[in-house]
Amino acid sequence: MTDLLNELGAAHEQQQFGILDEYSKREIRRAILTAVAVPGYQVPFGSREMPVARGWGSGGLQLTLAVISPSDVIKVIDQGDDQGVNAVNLRRLIVQSTKVPETTTASDASIVQSRHRIPEDGLDEQDILILQVPVPEPLRGVERDMRELSRMHAEADYSKMWVSLYEDKVRNGVITQTTGYPCLVNDRYVIATTPIPRWDIPRLDQSPFLTLFGAGREKRIYAVPPYTAVTPLTFEDVPFEVEHTPGASCSQCGSNKTFLVEIPGPTSRWVCSDTDWCERNSGKA
Amino acid sequence: MKPVTAPDWVLKVENLGKVFGNLSTHGIANTGPEVGTSKDSVSGAIVAAWDVSFEVAAGEALGVVGESGSGKSTVMRCIAGDQVATSGAVKIRTTRNEQLDIFSLSAAERRQLRVNKIAVVYQDPAEGLEMNVTAGGNIASPLTAAGWRNFSEIRGRASELLNRTEVPLNRMDDAVKSFSGGMRQRVQLAKAIANRPPIVLFDEPTTGLDASVAAGVLDLIRGLLEEYGLAAVVVSHDFSVIEMLTTRCIVMNHGRVVESALTDQLLEDPHHPYSQKLVSAARA
Amino acid sequence: MTQQIIEQKNVVLEVRDLYKHFFLHTIDSRCVKALNGVSLSVAAGEHVALAGTSGAGKSSLLKSIYRTYKPTNGSVLLRLDPETYVDLVSLTDAELATLRGTKIGYVSQFLRAQPRRSPFDIVMQAGIQRGMDRQTAKDAAAHSLQRLNLDEVLWDVSASMLSGGEKQRVNLAAGTISPPQVLLLDEPVSALDPANRESALELIGTLTSQGVAVLAVFHDIEAMRRLASRIIVLRNGQVDFQGSPTEALSNLEGVAR
Repeated sequence: MTDLLNELGAAHEQQQFGILDEYSKREIRRAILTAVAVPGYQVPFGSREMPVARGWGSGGLQLTLAVISPSDVIKVIDQGDDQGVNAVNLRRLIVQSTKVPETTTASDASIVQSRHRIPEDGLDEQDILILQVPVPEPLRGVERDMRELSRMHAEADYSKMWVSLYEDKVRNGVITQTTGYPCLVNDRYVIATTPIPRWDIPRLDQSPFLTLFGAGREKRIYAVPPYTAVTPLTFEDVPFEVEHTPGASCSQCGSNKTFLVEIPGPTSRWVCSDTDWCERNSGKA
Repeated sequence: MKPVTAPDWVLKVENLGKVFGNLSTHGIANTGPEVGTSKDSVSGAIVAAWDVSFEVAAGEALGVVGESGSGKSTVMRCIAGDQVATSGAVKIRTTRNEQLDIFSLSAAERRQLRVNKIAVVYQDPAEGLEMNVTAGGNIASPLTAAGWRNFSEIRGRASELLNRTEVPLNRMDDAVKSFSGGMRQRVQLAKAIANRPPIVLFDEPTTGLDASVAAGVLDLIRGLLEEYGLAAVVVSHDFSVIEMLTTRCIVMNHGRVVESALTDQLLEDPHHPYSQKLVSAARA
Repeated sequence: MTQQIIEQKNVVLEVRDLYKHFFLHTIDSRCVKALNGVSLSVAAGEHVALAGTSGAGKSSLLKSIYRTYKPTNGSVLLRLDPETYVDLVSLTDAELATLRGTKIGYVSQFLRAQPRRSPFDIVMQAGIQRGMDRQTAKDAAAHSLQRLNLDEVLWDVSASMLSGGEKQRVNLAAGTISPPQVLLLDEPVSALDPANRESALELIGTLTSQGVAVLAVFHDIEAMRRLASRIIVLRNGQVDFQGSPTEALSNLEGVAR
């Protein structure tokens, strides 16, 4: 008994790497391993209190802090923008507590934590994409009961999801979900791809990088391992369409092949969501 | 070899029993039609159904008649899987001509049977339908559960079924909560036969509907039974429903089967005192 | 069950010592004795008429053969083919149901069809039950209804809208859509006007030439005289007298109807 206590005390006194203690990291890593072993399955975990409030990326932050090591290079984006307020704060927190080098160039990063986008390019094998997820449950809109939700995932009984897609198409002519589009991972579990837009979904399919999804408030972690099949749920004869505004192009770099966001103002102006990519592309132009 | 053979059963119920509370021998002996109650005065257990057996072949409709509290709905729910039976077996004949005791299946496997093997039409359409979902959407549910993934095919089949059950097609995209009782029941029928299940259970299918509406729904059920060659169990307290739909029936009282007969014979020549009481009351 | 053999080769229906007693528990356990040991036989191609006062047991006998009434005692042997016969009383409900509408036809006095069914549908279903495929059944139904002069206009209306005579003709059409082995007729022409009665009787008359064994209850003497080769008079649930039409009817002359 006293040996155990000594052991625990020693671990606590040990130089902490980052804010999370080693035991917390261990638990989160175990959850990550389960998530990677069962692609798309929502693994419950003991979500820690973080210096960011719930709803501000605490889940993503815990994932990052659990996997990061001194040899990593971190990039944090919010809506694709490295300079968003939230991204800046998170990056500062991570860098100050771990002393890990930071970058805005996706191809130089080994870990990218993101609130809303997948970088247009630059993520390869050995890289990890960490997404901050507000609502991890794809079936939340069609079922409230927790046990029933659990059963539906366990038995791969997604008929309620299909009925809601049917209803959506009937009411609106198209399937209207924008972010958080439900996708089937590895032919088994349906996940919520919140927070990424439809535009980024095709990039998850057979991606060379690992994607981790963390929901701090809901206390769930799930994963899409490298080279895993990810297919958006849709009817055979209703093609999955990504966002597209005809005629729009980035006012900075001129691209019309990237995800664009509208700048509100007297006249509508579009810019690339991925600021890093835009800068590099403008440089070339 | 017998000179006359009845067609093989598709659904066979063997000594089905459902007891709420503690099952005990005195509980069985203390309840039943002779005693006049389903409740065991000693332990308080309720023997809702006991020792119920029958067989149904394809294209045949069997009636289960009784007053409320007779156990007829309990029997239906045990077959459907909405309730867990205490004893007995329920067997279905698979497409490979094997006998499958569905009580030996896991809960998940039993739920799978409800997709395309056993369908249920409830007395209250709200139990079998999602009220906030459209008529077409309600039918899309069993279809997608069975693997349909093509939107126009799903819609096509749904319209076909709604047409067959005489639901106006221009209401296909309306939520069923905006439908009248009779029309909701028709949507429930369409949903029940969507995947062409071999077995359909009907629980008081027209109780609560106006007489003229009920007549139309019964007509429709009769037509569907003939057209699809379903094996049907029709639970009802109403003899006109039993007469209209079934060729054979069983009479239940306080959880037990008291008589089993050809439907016309039960109506004209009931034997058991309880059956005679029921039939003469219906005839009055 | 001991093997019981039908003695004569051409007999298709043999009733042996048939009893039907009703025990009415709801009416102070009264016992109504409808049949008290009836024995008779009908051969293929034979038309046997049942006569007797009301309450003598004529309808009860037909119903007991068809098993709308469950006999209390006795047997009803039906020959299925030259070598095989079966006791209807001992069959299970499901087994008997397979014979009804196929080997044994029954035309009752009343049309008990569901109110919204159309005559055409009723007769077509009878054909399908006989084993016909849908198209054949449709053709046979049309033919059957025409034979009984039911106006085509009425073929697709609700059966509940028909007059008594029209309903009776639908019944007869359904019962005769294709010749069963044994046909039981209970007052099949009682509600028909003279013209329709004529064609109905003519139709019934042709059944025997097709080899059907007919056992019929007729209200009217003329019909019996015309169609029956043998008349059985029942009294108090037993056979009182059997003989040719002339013999039987002169015997009946004095009996009140």
